[in-house]
Amino acid sequence: MTNRHALIFLGPVALVMALGFFVPLGQIFYTSVDGAQLTLRPFAELVDSRLFWLVLENTFAISVESMLASLLLAYPIAYHLSRVTPRRRAAYMVLVLLPFWTSILVKSFAFTVILGDHGIVNNVLRALFGEQMVLPLLFNRTGVVIGMVHWLLPFMVFPILVNLLAQGSDLHYAARVMGAGRTRIFFRITLPLSVPGVLAGCVITLVLSLGSFVTPALLGGRRDLMMASLVDFYTRVSLDWGSASAIAVLLLAITGGLILLLSRLPGEHRLI
Amino acid sequence: MRRPALMTVFVAWAIYLFLIAPSLIVIPMSFNGSTELIFPPRSFSLHMYHEFFYGGDWLQATRESIVVAAGTMLLSVAAGVPAAYALARAEFPGRRLLGVVLLAPMLVPTIVAALGLYLYLVHLGLAGTTAGLILGHTTLTTPFVIVIAAASLRQLDQSLETAARIMGAGPLLVFRRVVLPRLYPAAVAAALFAFLISFDEVVIAWFVSGVGTATLPVKMYSAIHWEVSPVLPVISTLLTLLSLIVCTIGALLRQRSAVDV
Repeated sequence: MTNRHALIFLGPVALVMALGFFVPLGQIFYTSVDGAQLTLRPFAELVDSRLFWLVLENTFAISVESMLASLLLAYPIAYHLSRVTPRRRAAYMVLVLLPFWTSILVKSFAFTVILGDHGIVNNVLRALFGEQMVLPLLFNRTGVVIGMVHWLLPFMVFPILVNLLAQGSDLHYAARVMGAGRTRIFFRITLPLSVPGVLAGCVITLVLSLGSFVTPALLGGRRDLMMASLVDFYTRVSLDWGSASAIAVLLLAITGGLILLLSRLPGEHRLI
Repeated sequence: MRRPALMTVFVAWAIYLFLIAPSLIVIPMSFNGSTELIFPPRSFSLHMYHEFFYGGDWLQATRESIVVAAGTMLLSVAAGVPAAYALARAEFPGRRLLGVVLLAPMLVPTIVAALGLYLYLVHLGLAGTTAGLILGHTTLTTPFVIVIAAASLRQLDQSLETAARIMGAGPLLVFRRVVLPRLYPAAVAAALFAFLISFDEVVIAWFVSGVGTATLPVKMYSAIHWEVSPVLPVISTLLTLLSLIVCTIGALLRQRSAVDV
């Protein structure tokens, strides 16, 4: 294939990506420095804004909490999937893939029904422990983290599962022959070897949750504002496109840095 | 390797239940007889389905979503499949870098892409148009198409292509007559997933679509946010069904082409 032919094959994709993605990204950088005036005013205003620091703190707190909770729930699933027969694994995978392909709006809506004061969880609690037993699960930090974890779980399961499946069974077999029990094998062999998969999952989920918009907006309260909602607020409500762009540039820098960090870490982990 | 311990199985099943429950509870709720959103419903009827199809402007939003998703599907397959072929087979300087650049939309937060597209379309005077939204969604789905098509291309035996080239066929002819027919299952799977991603996408649509061009997810987002309409379980059920159908067909096609989607 000559360069001319490569150009024919790559021409359409280059055009679409340039017009729909890269030029718009450029527009954000341009707007974030007040266009041709080339000032740092939007950034300076953000630094002076108490709201921005509050939202930044929120965003990181919610993202890290969601990442850790996802890890806690994803690991047992990935471990279970890696220890069943391929036929069963394909069947169980449906339970991970269906939520993965389900609209985030469907999931968020379902959680407003599940977690509300008269939702399924609280109705069960009331039936078991009496009328006073109501947990505040919706429109607060708890609701956001539950919704986020549900959304992030598949992204955490996949890299860990790939890693666990790639671990050869020789080491495990040797350890078993030498007399090691299940628990010992898990903590001395399986878990340490899976660290690259865990790190990849953590970075992916952190990047996703830092930029999340729908879940915190629908399941969170007024105090759980995250960066994406602030971008939306500045763009649509206060029409301050400079500040919106400055936040977007910061978000891009943070997530880009995280992905760069992942690509530099030792071990085999490709994002795709 | 040994079978998992009973404790592991128990914990895993509890988490599977957590994963699957939200997609499932919307189904009985959609047959709710009253306008009250509760689970389990106290009475059953098809009233809310009637409301979705004949009342309000839900159908208009659904139509807009279908148009956008179909346009996105066609455009991203037309752009992504040839690109995957060039990336998989051609040798040219900067090929690896180009691969990373083309997959960038998968890694950049959607909110950033949405804001950029909005500012750019306002600048062009195209904000609120269907074409603008299709362009935005295409950048989101094309990386998926490239990944799926490239994975399938890696599995294909290249000797047929070599034979065709030795016989004097040019790269365009080889692509059209030798590669495309065998790439067909992967291309269809990629097209279906592109359709689904676009049909469910809310962030870009929220920023870019206008009053007359609101898609189903945009209307749904405001409905959950502001009014909590009793039609929501119906739409949720239909969306879950769509995901299920696309995943099933995708899985079947995957078996045929022996490629991980």
